[in-house]
Amino acid sequence: MTVQTTSPERATGPDKPDRLSTWRRALDLVLSERVALLSVLLVVVVGYFYLLGRQGYLVAPYDTDYLASALETLVPLCLLALAELLVIVSGRGGIDLSVGSIVSLSGMAFGAMVGLWGWAVLPALLVTVVVGAALGAVNGLLVAYLGFPALIATLATYYAFGSVALLSHDNAPISTGPIQDAHSLTQAVSVPLLGDGFPDLPLQVATFLLPVAVVVYLVVNRTSYGRRLYAIGTNDIAARFANIEVRRSRFSAYVASGVLSAVVAVVTVAQFASARPDAGSVGSGMALPAITIAVLGGVAISGGIGRVAGVIIAALLVVWLNAGILLAFEGSDGSQFQLFALGALLVLSALLNAYSVRRGRGTG
Amino acid sequence: MTAVTDVAPPRRRPVARAVEGQELALVAVLAVLWVALSLGTETFLTSSNLSDLLYSVAPVALVGIGMTAVIVTGGIDVSVGSGVAVVMVVVSKLIRDGGASLPEALLVALLIGLALGVVNGVLIAFGGIHPIIATFGTLNLYRFLALRLFENKQVTGVPDTFAGVGGGGAGETIGVPNAWWMTIVLAGLMWAYMRYWATGRHWYALGNDPAAARLAGIQVRRRLVAAYALTGLFVGLAGCVLIGSGGLVQQNAGTGLELQVIAAVVIGGTSILGGRGTVLGTLLGALLVGTVTSAITLLGWRSELTELFIGLFILVAVGVDLVRERRRRAR
Amino acid sequence: MTTTHPEGTARSSSGQPAILRLTAVEKRYGGVHALRGVDFELRTGEVHGVVGENGAGKSTLIKIIAGAEAADHGSIEIDGQPLAAGSTTSALGAGIATVYQEPQLFGELTVAENVFIGRELRRSGVVDRRAQRDRVLELLHRVGLDQGLVDVRVADLPVAEQQLVSIAKALSHDARILILDEPSAILTDREIETMFAAVRSLRDSGVAVIYISHRLDELAQITNRVTVLRDGSVVASRDTATLSVREVAELMVGHALESGTADRTAPEGEPVLQVERLTRQPKFYDVDLSIRPGEIVALYGLIGSGAGDVVRALFGIDPADSGVVRIAGKEVSLRSPADAVGHGISMLPANRKVQGVFGTKSIAFNISSGHLKMLSRWGIWVDRRRERDIAGDFIKQIRIKAPGPATRVDNLSGGNQQKVVLARQLVERPHIMLLEEPTQGVDVGAKDEIHRIIFELADAGAAVLVVSADLPEVQQLADRVLVVRGGTVTSEFHRGARAAELLAAAAGDAEPTGERSGR
Repeated sequence: MTVQTTSPERATGPDKPDRLSTWRRALDLVLSERVALLSVLLVVVVGYFYLLGRQGYLVAPYDTDYLASALETLVPLCLLALAELLVIVSGRGGIDLSVGSIVSLSGMAFGAMVGLWGWAVLPALLVTVVVGAALGAVNGLLVAYLGFPALIATLATYYAFGSVALLSHDNAPISTGPIQDAHSLTQAVSVPLLGDGFPDLPLQVATFLLPVAVVVYLVVNRTSYGRRLYAIGTNDIAARFANIEVRRSRFSAYVASGVLSAVVAVVTVAQFASARPDAGSVGSGMALPAITIAVLGGVAISGGIGRVAGVIIAALLVVWLNAGILLAFEGSDGSQFQLFALGALLVLSALLNAYSVRRGRGTG
Repeated sequence: MTAVTDVAPPRRRPVARAVEGQELALVAVLAVLWVALSLGTETFLTSSNLSDLLYSVAPVALVGIGMTAVIVTGGIDVSVGSGVAVVMVVVSKLIRDGGASLPEALLVALLIGLALGVVNGVLIAFGGIHPIIATFGTLNLYRFLALRLFENKQVTGVPDTFAGVGGGGAGETIGVPNAWWMTIVLAGLMWAYMRYWATGRHWYALGNDPAAARLAGIQVRRRLVAAYALTGLFVGLAGCVLIGSGGLVQQNAGTGLELQVIAAVVIGGTSILGGRGTVLGTLLGALLVGTVTSAITLLGWRSELTELFIGLFILVAVGVDLVRERRRRAR
Repeated sequence: MTTTHPEGTARSSSGQPAILRLTAVEKRYGGVHALRGVDFELRTGEVHGVVGENGAGKSTLIKIIAGAEAADHGSIEIDGQPLAAGSTTSALGAGIATVYQEPQLFGELTVAENVFIGRELRRSGVVDRRAQRDRVLELLHRVGLDQGLVDVRVADLPVAEQQLVSIAKALSHDARILILDEPSAILTDREIETMFAAVRSLRDSGVAVIYISHRLDELAQITNRVTVLRDGSVVASRDTATLSVREVAELMVGHALESGTADRTAPEGEPVLQVERLTRQPKFYDVDLSIRPGEIVALYGLIGSGAGDVVRALFGIDPADSGVVRIAGKEVSLRSPADAVGHGISMLPANRKVQGVFGTKSIAFNISSGHLKMLSRWGIWVDRRRERDIAGDFIKQIRIKAPGPATRVDNLSGGNQQKVVLARQLVERPHIMLLEEPTQGVDVGAKDEIHRIIFELADAGAAVLVVSADLPEVQQLADRVLVVRGGTVTSEFHRGARAAELLAAAAGDAEPTGERSGR
């Protein structure tokens, strides 16, 4: 009869002598609690660039106005990173490589509705979200019900959706009048109540990012659906025994990813005053930075682990770091060093994840 | 009362097969496509079109040879496109400014590719990072490196040192691009290695069950690094092929290559979960992707349809493979 | 077992020299005295069965022979020479090879590759494929496998043949002693015959085989001698021909050590769960059972008997192909866990690591995960306070040793983890409680606790169905015991039945006739 001997529960027993100095304990905490670590890094980064700016090394001042305007890039990145959070947390190798293509395709749909058929923004937004959901449902069907590995399924839909987006308007952007007008959705506005002292924020932060982020946070942390998601990501066999509908929950994670991508599409169209068929494929595509931020934010690739707070702070870190890099370097050097920062951050955070898991602490 | 607890229908005796996966199906599909295209268009079956096709497929197929091993071990490498860019910028400048000869430039290409691959392998095997994360990271780092080396402009006036593996007439032997000959030879060697050499078979064991592999005495870490390092070598070669007859090397070289390679490998029947797959399948998958691209151009269809077809082919290939494996394991 | 099997296995091996001898071997694990002064002798050309209850010391004995563990005292000799203790390399080098229950093979590789994987034969650096292939062909012949299989992918082979490949692989170490650990556990009737043929052929070629099994009826068919272990000591070591299944069972269980049984009166009344002709080929068929409210029924059978599959069918995990299930008289369909839960059925799965716990999550998360709708306002908003309270209550009630509801479950001991999973099943009082191996790998204290909970459940009116291969547990808990063998219920006993009878019924042929046991 084998007796399972494991290390005792995480109890604060009297056995640990106070040899660890407070510094060491703080370091331990920061390394194991991802949110804490990211917050510290955020402060360090912002502080560093601010100082650089004060000493004149930067092309333009790294001040609150600049940081506020940089939030423009935060919105799409953060939303897509949250989409990846949902999908990766759902487990069984969950990932969504097709988010960029969904952005492109639903963006074209939005563009068609508002720019070609004269719809008002709100109904068009709602239908666009439905389109995103439908596209996400294709992924969900393939992964959750048909058993395709997520990497393959979303790679295929990345190609397929992207292709349809390019075909949809003869590979030409839609930039008609109503679309141009939609740009007003994303201009910088002053924050009410805080007035002039506080920098102007891009409107979409308040109208899109904040509400969506709050909803995602609540869904993930406070609803039964969120629990189910984490359960199936941790152990989908135990979840089945616990009477959780594994396939349906996993399916809906991909649908949610599609919805979030559709929201990003609308923001992007408004921001650039144009619905571009390749909106999601700029650079190496939108999926890559989204996944990077999710992993940086503490989402475990194996599933079941990941916090919304971590992802949001990670997104903020990346955005403000990139913003600082842009000012610190001349010309296109800046965008190049952004690549370096992104790659380095990813590798280092993954090494940290692996190290924490080995030490038995999880990824915080 | 004897319990009849095994009611399995009479099984066909399992046979050893030279070709395990869907290579035969792929050959059939390719054959059908080629026949249809030859009949449907006047230009498909011309030697110039075919050699263009083979030349354009060669880099994907070359990297695919290494990628097959990587995916068989259960991993993946999305940094190959950026790696190719690094190789191309360094080597093209070397032959333009440094006057390097073909062997020298080739050696440099291989060394660079090898180094990039080893970095990936070490991060994954020793750093314990999940392959997709590690190579997403190096994708960025290598692209950064490449762009720095490009110094914000494309490389122009590159000599035709590598014309022998290029796309033009100088790069052909009996009408087939040398790049393709090279690919076939190397693919054949790799196929043999993965089929007959112990260390090649170890990749399959590793992809099947890493824990059991370790227990069986397989050098898991070494095998992993080897797979990524080998892919790096092929990245170096692909870079040379892409430089080809010289001229211009653009800053966005290699962008999107990784996805084409993965598509080729997966369509070729290699399972993304590891443990199964052959280089032969990858070659066929690459040819299929190339054929689709060529077909769409020749048929005068919208070029954007290419990616749609690739996506569909991936789904069909993987779907068929899934069904077949499920049936095989139904006990 | 006194019949002479046509193959003549029951013949004595007394003329043969001893190849392996253990003398006065002692082994303790912490406070557990696993082996107490064990003497064991294995002769060349014999198949020597080793039997004993769980915890009797079988696996410890095997580990010591195979070199995975070192004995505290005593000696091991091969051919009269002492064997270095605690070294698997020495054991392998001396010719001792072990084959475990689950074939540890690489499905994607061929038979030949699997045999030599990781230690390929080389000649001046290059793999000598010709030599390897010849060797594998020879080994296949020795185990009775079709030599044409040498290049077949292992995943394409049926399980029985995969096991023979494992045996071939063990032999490739030039084994003179082969240890087979529960080889028939995962095989069907027909496949067992194949395996027997292989074992006989090996024995005839001079290999000595140690055959560990719970299936007492097999001993007559394959072994020459049997050694019975009980509580770490050898209680008998005799020629198979001189023992009957009943006698072996008695020896395993011991006369004085009749496990206590609870003082419970079986309830009367109408059954709440009625199962008729439940079938799911090839796992089980024609299973009939009924349970009354407040009654505890045990499905007692060895691994592979199909008992676990019955319970999983009743919970809708792997639904039955045919048969009728009635709850409170009404016919129901149980095609998914949702169906089962909807009818008031709850299940504790067998393997908590794989099927039970969400290891990286808290106790509260684990407990509430089965009842999210109930614990949420409007079915959506999780009521965290209530969740915490419920978890806290359970921690107290069933004495889960943990600092609090927020403790990560994989930091708990096995017994406490099991309690957490059990707590999950108890949140909404089930009418019908299914438990599969409820105390597997659980320490004695937690085991008693879990039994207490089961009794309380029954006392409160639930109908309880326990699947267990743990005989003392079955005796302790069950008002009625249904013995499952070969996929169906073969006999029924009431509370107070003797352990040896139960064991014999589950593990061997109860009829002392010349017929082959109808498993």
